[in-house]
This record gives sequence, structure tokens and C-alpha cells, in this order.
Amino acid sequence: MENEENKPASISTLSIIQMRDVSASYDSKNAILKNVSMNVHRGTNYAIVGASGSGKSTLLKLMNGMMIPSNGIVLYNYQKPDVKNKSYKKSMAKIGYIPQTLGLVKNSTVMDNVMIGALPRIDGVKSFFKIFPKKEIEYAHDILKLVGLDEKSDRKVHMLSGGEKRRVAIARALMQKPHVLLADEIVSELDSVTAREVMDVIKDAQQKLNLTSIMIHHDMNLALEYANRVAVIKEGEKVLEIGVEGEQIIDFQTGNLTQQEILEMYSESQK
Amino acid sequence: MNPKNNLLVGAIIAVVVVTSYDVGVEPIAFFEGLPNLGIVAKEMTEFESEHWGTAFWAMLETIEMAFVGTIIGVLISLPLSIFAARNISSKFVYAPLRALLAATRTFPSILWAILFVIVVGLGPFAGILAITLYTVGFISKLQYESIEAIDYDPVEATNAIGLSKLQLIRYVIIPESAPHLLSQILYMFDYNVRQTSILGIVGAGGIGFYIINYIKFFEYGKAAVFMLVVLIAVLAIDWASVKIRDRYIMKAEHGRQLKVSN
Repeated sequence: MENEENKPASISTLSIIQMRDVSASYDSKNAILKNVSMNVHRGTNYAIVGASGSGKSTLLKLMNGMMIPSNGIVLYNYQKPDVKNKSYKKSMAKIGYIPQTLGLVKNSTVMDNVMIGALPRIDGVKSFFKIFPKKEIEYAHDILKLVGLDEKSDRKVHMLSGGEKRRVAIARALMQKPHVLLADEIVSELDSVTAREVMDVIKDAQQKLNLTSIMIHHDMNLALEYANRVAVIKEGEKVLEIGVEGEQIIDFQTGNLTQQEILEMYSESQK
Repeated sequence: MNPKNNLLVGAIIAVVVVTSYDVGVEPIAFFEGLPNLGIVAKEMTEFESEHWGTAFWAMLETIEMAFVGTIIGVLISLPLSIFAARNISSKFVYAPLRALLAATRTFPSILWAILFVIVVGLGPFAGILAITLYTVGFISKLQYESIEAIDYDPVEATNAIGLSKLQLIRYVIIPESAPHLLSQILYMFDYNVRQTSILGIVGAGGIGFYIINYIKFFEYGKAAVFMLVVLIAVLAIDWASVKIRDRYIMKAEHGRQLKVSN
């Protein structure tokens, strides 16, 4: 292990997240991920697609340090993510993570939930009494306007619709002023119209705030529509990685493909 | 019924008979004494209405004592419940604290009242201290249980953002466990009013002082007035707390769309 840490890996300055030969498991027997390597460049809209139980969520938890790999190395901005490590706390605040359950405080207002994203920047005692700097409050309103929820900022979260709750989670993540946005199946439970509305909000925010995003999708079509790079995970292994550029889809092993061909390859890989 | 059950039922009956004999249960004395109840009941109907005023003020004092004791108790309980919650505090903090809280709940408040009468002397203050202590033991327990039962998703999500423990408590733990708190406080106040009504028996203030003394001197008519006032007050508080619960707590839990009709 020591050796691997010190190895001057072929780190590209373009990358924001790198994974090399990463394996992970909850217990010592069953590996959830096996030798996955990934390289996410700054400014990419990266999508991870796969069946449920394939290890997609684990990938995100490794990226934000909620889990530690049993083998291999994960780097975010050249640091090893680990939420339990105190010296990592500052970097952690710059990863906007939206779990599948969203993790919103349902009895609090939209505004209070969004402000949680800013808390690592705010003095502990002041934040206890909800005294926020003026510019943070203004920024929160800007973010809420961006996701289209500004007029509902005083509502309690449990009163919102599914799509609105997702917007709150997005706003909280954006409030962190993140370098990268991780989202775990954020639109999977929504109908396709609402799902696209939410995805458009993220796309819009990404362009305005110059964000890198890594999103897990259940639906390959949605991934091809919004991402410019898609990785397919099957039973803990990365079986396919493709680049998407408009109508053009590039498989790095076989050359150019059509969307039809890629969907066929995808359904083939999931069998 | 199988033979095993028969044996069990037989054993329970045998134990009841033996223990009853042991503690001197005499059914005959009960039936012989029943006419006495009639005498008491008859005397109780002979209200001495000039005591209504005294009874009212004594009940007001009782309610005030219960109110002060409940509020101070709750204020002490809030930080304690956070320290006593297993999902927030370390074992070395919550384990001794829970033992201490359990100890305060072991004795009924009337025993604490005796203790505080010795400490601060006769009067309502001893009663308030007893009510406060009992409230701390009870509300802390209810509250740390609801903290332990909160939804863990927001805790996990906000941990990944990098909040401090204090911020986590303020922005996640307290709002998530708060909806139960108001109904717990109402319940506790309700309970404390009943408790305070009898604290006067040991000289710790409140309406119980009058009731026990009039009964001691066989003045059932006077005692009845005071007991009736307790009854009316407790029913009124019960009714009010149901109203408050419907209006505020149901709304907090089910959203604003719920309409309350009066």
C-alpha cells in the first residue's frame, strides 16, 4: 500500500477525480467493485449507468470519502477522500453530494436546508443562532432563483413535490460552491417530464457555475442525452466507457458508433 | 386449553391467594365498610360553598407550580437529551447520564418533594423542585429516544458536507426531533398538574394541602369542594392540550393543507 501511495502516478492536471484499480467491499468476502479505473476531467458531465446492485452508489461514496477503497487508489484534487479525516474537511465541503434519498431535513424550510450547504464557511457560534453574512443570504437567493424555488424559500420541505425536493437538494449542493457535483439517481423516481426539468436545472447550473458533474442514472437514454461521457458498470466492473459529442458516440476501443448500436451494446452488457 | 396452561393458571391463582393472605386482604371488611363510603359520599354532597374562592386560588397555585416546574425541567432536558443520545454522544457521556436520569424517574415526585421540603423548607418551592427533577428525568428520556429514532439520511448527507457537530445538532437533529417535543411537553404538563395536586400532602405547596387536612379532620364537605376543583381543572387542561395538539402538531406533521374546524 505504501508503495502505491508514493508512486508518481500519471496524474493529468485535467482530472478532478481519478480512480485506479479500485476495489471495494462492505465485508471482507464480497467485493462490490472490482478493479475499476476512471478518470473524470474538469468540466465533464460524467454519467455512470448500470443495473441496481451493480456498485454505482459505492463509486460515488468512494469519490466523496464516505467509503475507503479496500484496494487501489481514489484521488479528488490529488487528495484521498475520507470524511473521517479532519484535515480533509475543507476539501470535503467542495464536493456537492446528493444521495439517492436526498437527505433533506424535512421539518425545516427550504432556506434552512439550502443554508446547510454554506455552514462549513460560517463561524460555528453565529451559525448556531442562524446569523448569516448578508452575502451568503443573497447567494442563497441567487441559487434558489437558479433552481426556480425562490418564492418557496419559506416552505417546509415535507410539503414540496418530488421534483421540488430534488431542486432543494441541488440548491443545497450548489450552496457549497462545489468543484464537483455528485448525484445518485436523482431523477430515477420521477416521471420523464419532471426528470428532464430537473436535469435541465442541473445543466443550466453547470454552465453558469462551471461545474464538473458525476451522475448516476438508471436510464441509458437520459445519460446519453445529458452527459458527454458515460461509463457502464456491471457486477462491480466497468464494462464500457463512451464519449458523447452531439450525435457522435465514441467507444474508445471500437471507434465511432451510432446511438442505436450503443443502446444495443448496453442492453447486451446488462444480460 | 392444554395441561401446561392449566398448570400456569393454577399457579397464578395460588400465588394471588397466598400473597393476598400475606398482605391482609379481607373481603369481608370491604363489604362491612361499604356503608361508610355512603356516609362520606353524603357528606361530600354537602358543599361548603364559601370555600370555592380558596379552592380556586389553591388550584391556581398548583397549576403555576406545575407550569414553572415543567418549563424549567424541559429547558434542562433539551441539552441533556442530546448528551444522552447514543447516536450523538460518546459512551462515556451517555451511559452515566442515562443512569442518572433513570434514577430520577425511579421515585415518584412525592418522594422527591419530601426530600426538597427537608432541603428548602415547607411551601411551593419544594414542590416546584420536585416537579422539575421528575420532568428532567422523563422529558430527557422521551427526547433522547426521539433523537435516536430520527431519519439517518440527512445526518449522513450533511456529514458528507463537513458540518461541525454543533451545526449538525442545530440544523438536523433539533428540527428532525422537534415535532414530538411539543406534544411531549403538553403531556408532561398535564401529568405534572395531577402530580402537583397531591404534593401538598407532604407540605410542598398546592391544593393537596387542603384536601389532606380536611380529610384528616373528617370535613368531607370541604374536601369535596377542593377535589371537584382539581377535577374540573384537570379536565380543562386535558381538553386544552388536545386542542393545541390538533391545531399545531397535526399541522406540523402533515403540512398546511390540513384544515382544523372549530
